[in-house]
Amino acid sequence: MAVVQAKSISCPNCGGPVTLRGFAHTLSVVCPQCMTVLDASTPEVQILQKFEGKTQTKPTIPLGTRGKLGDTQYEVIGFQVRQVSDGDDAYSWDEYLLFNPYKGYRYFTEYNGHWNFVEVESALPEQSRSAGKLAMRYEGKTYLAFDSMTTSTVYVLGEFPWQVHVGDSASCQDFIAPPFMLSSESTSGETTWSRAEYMTGAQVWQAFKLPGSPPPAYGIFANQPSPHGGSVGSSWQTWLWLNVALAGLVFLFMFLSPGRVAFSDHYAYSQSVKTDSAFVTPTFQLDGRNSNVELSIHTDLDNNWAYFNFALINDQTGQTFDFAREVSYYHDSDGSEGGRNNSVIVPSVPSGQYYLRVEPEMAAGSPYVRYELELRRNVPNYGFFGLAALLLLIPPVWATFRRGSFEAARWRESDYAPSMSSSSSGGDD
Amino acid sequence: MNSPAANCPSCGAPVKFLWSSAVQTTCEFCHSILIRTDVDLKKVGEVADLPPDASPLQIGSEGAYQNKSFVVVGRIIYEYEQGGWNEWHIVYNDGTSGWLADAQLEYDLSWAIPPPAPLPGPNEIRQGQDFQWNGKSFHVTSRTHAHYKGVQGELPFEYWDKSDLLFADLRSTTSDFATIDYSENPPLLFLGRSVEFDELHLKNLREFEGWT
Amino acid sequence: MNTPLFVIYGVLLLGFTGVAEYQGWSWSRVNQQKVLPKSIRDNPGAYRSSYGGYSRYIGGK
Repeated sequence: MAVVQAKSISCPNCGGPVTLRGFAHTLSVVCPQCMTVLDASTPEVQILQKFEGKTQTKPTIPLGTRGKLGDTQYEVIGFQVRQVSDGDDAYSWDEYLLFNPYKGYRYFTEYNGHWNFVEVESALPEQSRSAGKLAMRYEGKTYLAFDSMTTSTVYVLGEFPWQVHVGDSASCQDFIAPPFMLSSESTSGETTWSRAEYMTGAQVWQAFKLPGSPPPAYGIFANQPSPHGGSVGSSWQTWLWLNVALAGLVFLFMFLSPGRVAFSDHYAYSQSVKTDSAFVTPTFQLDGRNSNVELSIHTDLDNNWAYFNFALINDQTGQTFDFAREVSYYHDSDGSEGGRNNSVIVPSVPSGQYYLRVEPEMAAGSPYVRYELELRRNVPNYGFFGLAALLLLIPPVWATFRRGSFEAARWRESDYAPSMSSSSSGGDD
Repeated sequence: MNSPAANCPSCGAPVKFLWSSAVQTTCEFCHSILIRTDVDLKKVGEVADLPPDASPLQIGSEGAYQNKSFVVVGRIIYEYEQGGWNEWHIVYNDGTSGWLADAQLEYDLSWAIPPPAPLPGPNEIRQGQDFQWNGKSFHVTSRTHAHYKGVQGELPFEYWDKSDLLFADLRSTTSDFATIDYSENPPLLFLGRSVEFDELHLKNLREFEGWT
Repeated sequence: MNTPLFVIYGVLLLGFTGVAEYQGWSWSRVNQQKVLPKSIRDNPGAYRSSYGGYSRYIGGK
């Protein structure tokens, strides 16, 4: 069977040779010597458009380069630069036409170092809404409206299976479901849909074995996948399980630290009595491991304060724990401040025989105060559990914030900010 | 499926039919258009040299769609304002025939079916119109005026040079494809699917220089 | 956040909390003194608390 030959034609403008890598599919081709756009649809090659530009742009991936994507080899046969001007914003991006004689055409787009691999789709998407925003549903995914614009072709190189002209214009709309993007392109009533998948420069360079490094990526692109995306959900799941474990720990210590009352008594103190206010309690037993001791003070203070000095003293070893607590309670028609009770947890008290030394103080002229002291051995310190719960919150909150700020940066470039109703033109801030 | 060979009435070359129900074919050697009568082949015209094209399919290519294998037996080359496409005539292993359109390497399979409801006329069909066929919703995506650029091989009808034809293409959200062919009155309806190259398991394709 | 890192962090945090609870730790400011003379029991007033005199109320209102 005869092998289809690649064609070469002669430019009618400058006479230079023009290779047709796209075989007979190519309908227009740019002469690499004089940059004239030629009509290659008939054997008599006609001039379509003369070159009016000032400078030549060199495509980052040279025409004729081949690369493998998936299990298909493609050749770069065409290149164009397209531009959007929306008032003050003007930005442009590069498009590469990829060709395989069996599988057909694909595209690369490149903007600010962000690459996309694009394929034309024959199935139609369905218009939809997501959280009140315009969206498209396609193949089971919802794509959110990102921007819409009028594009024009400002530079062409290589071959195309259609009649290309510098100045060709199209209305485009982009919808995103990172790492994918659904785009519509409409010219004179007909709409073509295509789907893009985000690629990094490194991936493109590897597929096409290009020398050097790819152009660096600036900013965040519309369908660029979030590096924080999936892990935020799983970090909140982990957080949930850690809190279940924390709850288990709480219940464990409610059982391990029963808080048995080791000593309790009630007293009265009057500031007016002139003898030394200090006194000691009878001894009591503190058993078990080196756990804590909770001393609670319940008073009948009313618009006054009292200050209690304490010393928990081991009768056998003389080891002393020195601490103090103030109790104050004030109230009037506006509200109240403070409380009638207070407590303190004494840490790591070894077991043994103990007694308490108490020395209360009050302001001069205060009425006498009645108070009760209750000493419990081995109580759970809920403050630690509360602190642990707070500290457990830090990683998932931080991850959510990081993802949020990535998405905020993404949507700053969009015509449709997801949380605001105003619209700004696409491009840079 | 093969019929006994016959000879071209114009140049005497042997003519083999891949499809028993073929109505017309072309002679490979002298490009005469031949019609089958009960007795023999009759020359009714000549095809001009076919324009060069780069479709990977050729007469004799084989493939399979959803486990039904087929052979490519003929084609119509269409041309329109923005280019052209090939409409390959394929025959399945049960003797039924269908079409495989190849437009810049985008492939659409279809089969002629009687329209479930009367179709709108050529002046009424508009882009964006909706139709419900076979439980699927179809939307008109394009209206194309085209003409025959040439024919090759076995076709199921007796004409070879139609011009000023209107086609309306329709697509669905699930990759279904349909065409309304206004070359006849009442118009013909073809339903099918858009397919990827890999889905067809094609064999015996053309080779391209530089691509093995 | 890298989930394995978070799990390690969480397990360490819970482990530390468990140890703190078991050992009976507390945030309270408590001064420890070793070996007090036995006479304190008989004369509590002689003991000088490290918290010393607190003769005026420092809080609000």
